[in-house]
Amino acid sequence: MAEKVKLIDVSKCTGCRGCQLACKQWNQQPAKQTVNYGSYQNPPDLQENTWTLIRFQEVAEKDTVKWLFRKDGCMHCTDAACVKVCPSGALHYTQWGTVGIHHERCIGCKECVAACPFHIPRYDRVTDKVYKCDLCLSRIEANLLPACVKACPTGALTFGDKDKMIAKAYARVKELGGDANVYGDKFVGGTHVIYVLTEKPRVYEGLPHNPSVPLTVTIWKDLLKPLSLLAAGGVVAGSFLHYIIHGPKLPDENGSEGKGGE
Amino acid sequence: MRKGLIQATDAFERIVHWSLALSCLLLCLTGLGMMFHSLNFIGTIMGGLKSLKYVHNFTGLFFALALYFTIRMWWKEAGVFSMPEDLEWIKCAGGYLWHVDKVPEVGKYNPGQKMFFLVVAGCGALMVATGLIMWFPLSFPPAFVRLMYMLHALGFVAIFAFFFVHLYLGTVGSPGSLDAMLTGWVTRAWLKKQHPKWLKEMEEHGTLVVYGEEPQAKGHGHH
Repeated sequence: MAEKVKLIDVSKCTGCRGCQLACKQWNQQPAKQTVNYGSYQNPPDLQENTWTLIRFQEVAEKDTVKWLFRKDGCMHCTDAACVKVCPSGALHYTQWGTVGIHHERCIGCKECVAACPFHIPRYDRVTDKVYKCDLCLSRIEANLLPACVKACPTGALTFGDKDKMIAKAYARVKELGGDANVYGDKFVGGTHVIYVLTEKPRVYEGLPHNPSVPLTVTIWKDLLKPLSLLAAGGVVAGSFLHYIIHGPKLPDENGSEGKGGE
Repeated sequence: MRKGLIQATDAFERIVHWSLALSCLLLCLTGLGMMFHSLNFIGTIMGGLKSLKYVHNFTGLFFALALYFTIRMWWKEAGVFSMPEDLEWIKCAGGYLWHVDKVPEVGKYNPGQKMFFLVVAGCGALMVATGLIMWFPLSFPPAFVRLMYMLHALGFVAIFAFFFVHLYLGTVGSPGSLDAMLTGWVTRAWLKKQHPKWLKEMEEHGTLVVYGEEPQAKGHGHH
């Protein structure tokens, strides 16, 4: 099956948050009580039941203020740190290259929470499980668009084959000019959620400008994990060789009699 | 118990040892069950991987307690090297790896055992500290928590390898040693071969406990 990509063109986003609501509706996620803290960004952050969120940000320029909207959520990495660390196989790659989550397998260890370079997975104390966007796997499987894409009224969200979406992203960036850039295809093996950003990545709050699988995760899973078995295997083999070559350390036969009856 | 056997360990030592050993073994098994997807089945007998997680975490607490007693009990005897004789022993690897005509006499713990103790104490403490942070990862910065996972894996590499060294040298690699941790009674021949200095010390200080014999008279060893 061809890899799929969701393209988020922030230049077309009006911050209506229809995607946020559609996500909750399809995934049957209720809303939590929230507070007015002086921003349209609501709830304030991603939650265990809010898998996508429009981040509202004001950037002061010389004579004006730029109002930026960025739809945040799982980036569906090709080289996903969360899948790498997940002990139970709950987090997994799908045939579309996206990262799905089998909630029945999740053991609530929260390793993915620390590992994710985009700070996406959220832990729910009540169910003792972790939640995040699965790019509407149940809809993709049924040949439907992800709920957020379906709901988007401006065309800021589109979904399709990876090659086509990347080509579309670059064409759009060329059209926009200026600081516009494509974000997502160049790191962590290429993400399956790709942005067309109007500003440089550094400008956006909470968006890492050069994300990667953390070095500690790589050392842990690619080096120490196999080394643990290799080292133990080496010791077992070494012990066996020691026994058959050098032999065990035996007490002297007559030693017991020598001073025995002192 | 046979007449003439010598007491090497008391019951408290053995209980602490096995508390640490068995909890460590269970931690290794459950840890492996979470480290390798192919070993996830270890969780099945515990009612699933989530139960395995709790078994691992709470066994860790027991391990921490056992480790505390282990360190408190043994650090004076096994945690301090006595130079230069320990260095001499290390230079010839205690006669374990090649033929040595005269291995320097060692006391209750040889330098290899001391190194093992230090690795268990050090890595054990590391596992407890990193493990506790991994238990409550949301209370700490993610980069710090990631470092803990890495150090926990590093500690496991050392402990898991050393576990097999200990298993070998405590059983077939050194016949007679296992008794010291099972019943606590060992043969004089074994003690003479493995810990001659300790045997002499006990004889000199009159602390030698021989099965079937009256306790040595005080001052017996003061020549």
